[in-house]
Amino acid sequence: MRRDQAKAYAEEKGIPVREEHGLLHLVLPLAEFKVHMGAFKEMGFNYLADVIGVDYKDYPEGTPWQHPERFAVIYELVSMPGFKDGDGSRIYPRVYVPEAKPRLPTVTDLWPSANFPEREVYDLFGLVFEGHPDLRRILLPEDAEGHPLRKDHPLGETPTLFNDGRYIDPESFRAGLRGKDKGLTGWRGGRRKGERR
Amino acid sequence: MIPEPKELRTEEMLLNMGPQHPSTHGVLRLVVRLAGEEVLDVVPHIGYLHTGFEKTMENRTYHQNITFTPRMDYLHSFAHDLAYALSVEKLVGAEVPERARVIRVILNELSRIASHLIFVASGLLDLGALTPYFYTFRERETILDLFEWVTGQRFHHNYIRIGGLKEDLPEEFVPELKKFLDTFDHRVDDYQGLFVGSPIFEGRARGVGVIRPEDAIAYGLTGGSLRASGVNYDVRKAYPYCGYETYDFEVPLGERGDTWDRMVVRLEEMRQSARIIRQALDRLEPGPIRDPNPHFSYPPKELLSSSMEALIFHFKLATEGFEVPPGEAYVPTESARGELGYYIVSDGGSLPYRVKVRTPSFFNLQALPQAARGHFFQDLVAILASFDPVLGDVDR
Repeated sequence: MRRDQAKAYAEEKGIPVREEHGLLHLVLPLAEFKVHMGAFKEMGFNYLADVIGVDYKDYPEGTPWQHPERFAVIYELVSMPGFKDGDGSRIYPRVYVPEAKPRLPTVTDLWPSANFPEREVYDLFGLVFEGHPDLRRILLPEDAEGHPLRKDHPLGETPTLFNDGRYIDPESFRAGLRGKDKGLTGWRGGRRKGERR
Repeated sequence: MIPEPKELRTEEMLLNMGPQHPSTHGVLRLVVRLAGEEVLDVVPHIGYLHTGFEKTMENRTYHQNITFTPRMDYLHSFAHDLAYALSVEKLVGAEVPERARVIRVILNELSRIASHLIFVASGLLDLGALTPYFYTFRERETILDLFEWVTGQRFHHNYIRIGGLKEDLPEEFVPELKKFLDTFDHRVDDYQGLFVGSPIFEGRARGVGVIRPEDAIAYGLTGGSLRASGVNYDVRKAYPYCGYETYDFEVPLGERGDTWDRMVVRLEEMRQSARIIRQALDRLEPGPIRDPNPHFSYPPKELLSSSMEALIFHFKLATEGFEVPPGEAYVPTESARGELGYYIVSDGGSLPYRVKVRTPSFFNLQALPQAARGHFFQDLVAILASFDPVLGDVDR
């Protein structure tokens, strides 16, 4: 299996590996990111299924996940089953991109299908893919300001105003809890977590 | 590589097609560079239907988000509900009861048939055949009526819940579905008879928009468009979910990867979907339809008037939602257009931290310039239709 091969490769090169819910995550260093991706392509991961941008700015401490930088770009590599000797292995290499210098090399030369999704990550997160053949905004209009999937981009909800100057801010009115929220009592329901006990 | 026009080169023309155009299947804008009638290059411009679902979903609870998922791919909308629910269920560790899994398979395949019917109808309409539209919509109407019966909605079903389903099937559903299936295979034969062998269809579809398997993989194609190129990749077979590995069905493959193959592969898929539904109907045994774990699945409606605890759980689930352990999950599924999956990042709260939808149409559209280069402008319309893009699925 190419998945085991990729795991052995990561252990050999000292790349942190994490397995969760059946996904194999590999945390590649930004400096040698392109070299490792090239190695995965050589290994037979011929299909790039997705490029996922995540902004970990508000991610709470104390979870099993540690995020050294604000942004992460997660790639989903598949050894396409049904084509040549593809065995259906899937790996999820990721690279952390610092907020101060949001630039990383493109992989469009290895997988042409990275073209649109990299443009999407550029559009919605503002990460610049160096060497991309056509890096333009893709979903938003060209003159749009900001990058909406960043956590500090405002949601654009309208507060409800009352005659006496009082207003309800929709964000504070929302009942759902984020990971970092304490909830009304700070107790957060204890056993009432979605986990099977 | 751009082929040189064959003779009498005068000047190239840049033509804007869309975003409001009947054969762009939504609001897609294509900037086409033409040498006479010949397409030199196509640049798709997308985003006219961008609604920011991913940002919105970060601010709604896991159950509320089921409202948004079907609105992306409005033709095969059940697949989006299912893909979303599967990823969340993986994060919370829900166990879906057998009856719910079988019903999910039945409705997913019904929805796939409804989507393929539109594909056949609109694909042939773009080639100038108006008649199939009315016939396929007859079947589609029956399917939508069945959906309305079960879910209350024709398009945006909102029927799946994390850990199961909203409610059980109505009694009359199974006999009506059987009635529909009895005639359906003949109907598909009829549709095939409407265009296969027709010299116009052969001339406009055979050898047009050919994509080799290597190119298809390089440009990210999945689904029927990839299988038309001869790559045997169906998520239902490769990464089975919902018990698809226990159903007996075939994956139709094309040989040449042209418009003709892409059309016929989907016709055959409809027959296979009907086959899956028949097998699923045989397995439909009475039983629970939701994971009984009260921490994330709603209590039965009839308990709300008699059990205090059920009412509390219902209230908490409906307002605050349930908390999902921190983690990241992705479950690939097969929609009518290709590989569809929700990459969900949870931070331990009751709102997802990040939802990334891997929509097949978005990736399939990248192969359009590759397929259209060197063909006539009129064929571009047919090639675009053969990729079966849904613009809600592209722009999200």
